[in-house]
Amino acid sequence: MAESSQNVREQLAALLPRLRRFGRTLARHREDADDLVQIALERALTRTDQWQPGTRLDSWVFRIMQNAWIDETRARERRGQTLLAEEEGEHVGVSTTDAQIDAIAVRKAVAQLNDDQRAVVGLVLVEGLPYKEAAEVLGVPIGTLTSRLARARETLQALLDGPLGARA
Amino acid sequence: MNWTDESLMAFVDGELDTDQRAAVESALAGDVALRARVAALQTQRRRVSAAFAGVLDEPMPDRLASLLANAPAPSAAVVDLSAARSARAQRRALPAWAQWGGMAASVVLGMLLGAQFAGRAGDASLGVRDGRLVAGGTIDQALSTQLASAGGAPVAVQLSFVDRDGAYCRTFSTTTLAGLACRRDGQWAVQTLAATSVAAEGTLRQAATSLPREVLDAVDRRIAGEALDATRERQARDQGWHR
Repeated sequence: MAESSQNVREQLAALLPRLRRFGRTLARHREDADDLVQIALERALTRTDQWQPGTRLDSWVFRIMQNAWIDETRARERRGQTLLAEEEGEHVGVSTTDAQIDAIAVRKAVAQLNDDQRAVVGLVLVEGLPYKEAAEVLGVPIGTLTSRLARARETLQALLDGPLGARA
Repeated sequence: MNWTDESLMAFVDGELDTDQRAAVESALAGDVALRARVAALQTQRRRVSAAFAGVLDEPMPDRLASLLANAPAPSAAVVDLSAARSARAQRRALPAWAQWGGMAASVVLGMLLGAQFAGRAGDASLGVRDGRLVAGGTIDQALSTQLASAGGAPVAVQLSFVDRDGAYCRTFSTTTLAGLACRRDGQWAVQTLAATSVAAEGTLRQAATSLPREVLDAVDRRIAGEALDATRERQARDQGWHR
């Protein structure tokens, strides 16, 4: 038991960079994202026995993160607090590459999606989860997942380029 | 045949089975507009993925790394070697990112040496003599005079021991770096240097007493027998670390 909990801890450590990345798609802002990862890790560590070996550990923690994020946004709404706006301090300098400029534009567009859509985009397009895994993380039927993903993509494309397909 | 956005999306995301996939592929062959729709979806997937890829390479905040590291920080200035060993054993299990501290060390060292060569060596804590990295300034002073039990000093000294060559060695740490130095020709020759994990945050000064893995490993490679107890350490200091 102690052994397997240590094992989970090590696997979580290996996942940490990806957890931060998923946090960034949910939370828009680095500080909020890292707070979210911290909260989720603390929760995960107290219930490592609930993770079933043989299932994906990343999905398990993503689900904890997603739930923690919902809790957090609701709590802040109750307190009348607003979340930090999208990442500040991202500016285009003389040495900024085209790829960096594009990355900033894409992150801005993702930040404008609603919470549900950002979660789907983060899980499928960024983390590369199969639809079935992503649907389980979010606790929705697969049909709901695919329609959310389709709407999120349409919105993203409109924000970035105009109608889907205009830029091939 | 009309292809829905959702079915093309599933194609791009690798969600179709072999038959469905083959159907889309054969349709693509003769349909320029369809190819454009698929290409747009593929481009979008690539762009979104690339937009967040940089997060993976960002330095890990200490508060997240330490949640999972679970290495007990030595509470007293005198570190029990077996405790240090078990702490090291736990750290050894950490994945690659946990070793960033070690990579940063070369940067720290470069900066320190850079300051040396720039002629600002007056209070430098490390220097080069006869091609060897040696302790100077406050680090030299701490290694030569400070007992491991001393608290509140700018340089903490944790372990003292005799190495396999019969020389005294001591570990030390500051808020930014930690290392192992052994007595050679009247100097503290630095054997190992690593960045302390708190350097990035700079908030936990006292945590600098917890030694990086590289330093503990270096101790393990060199130590002959056990670490000196407080009495033997005091005797060694009073004899000027001669053997």
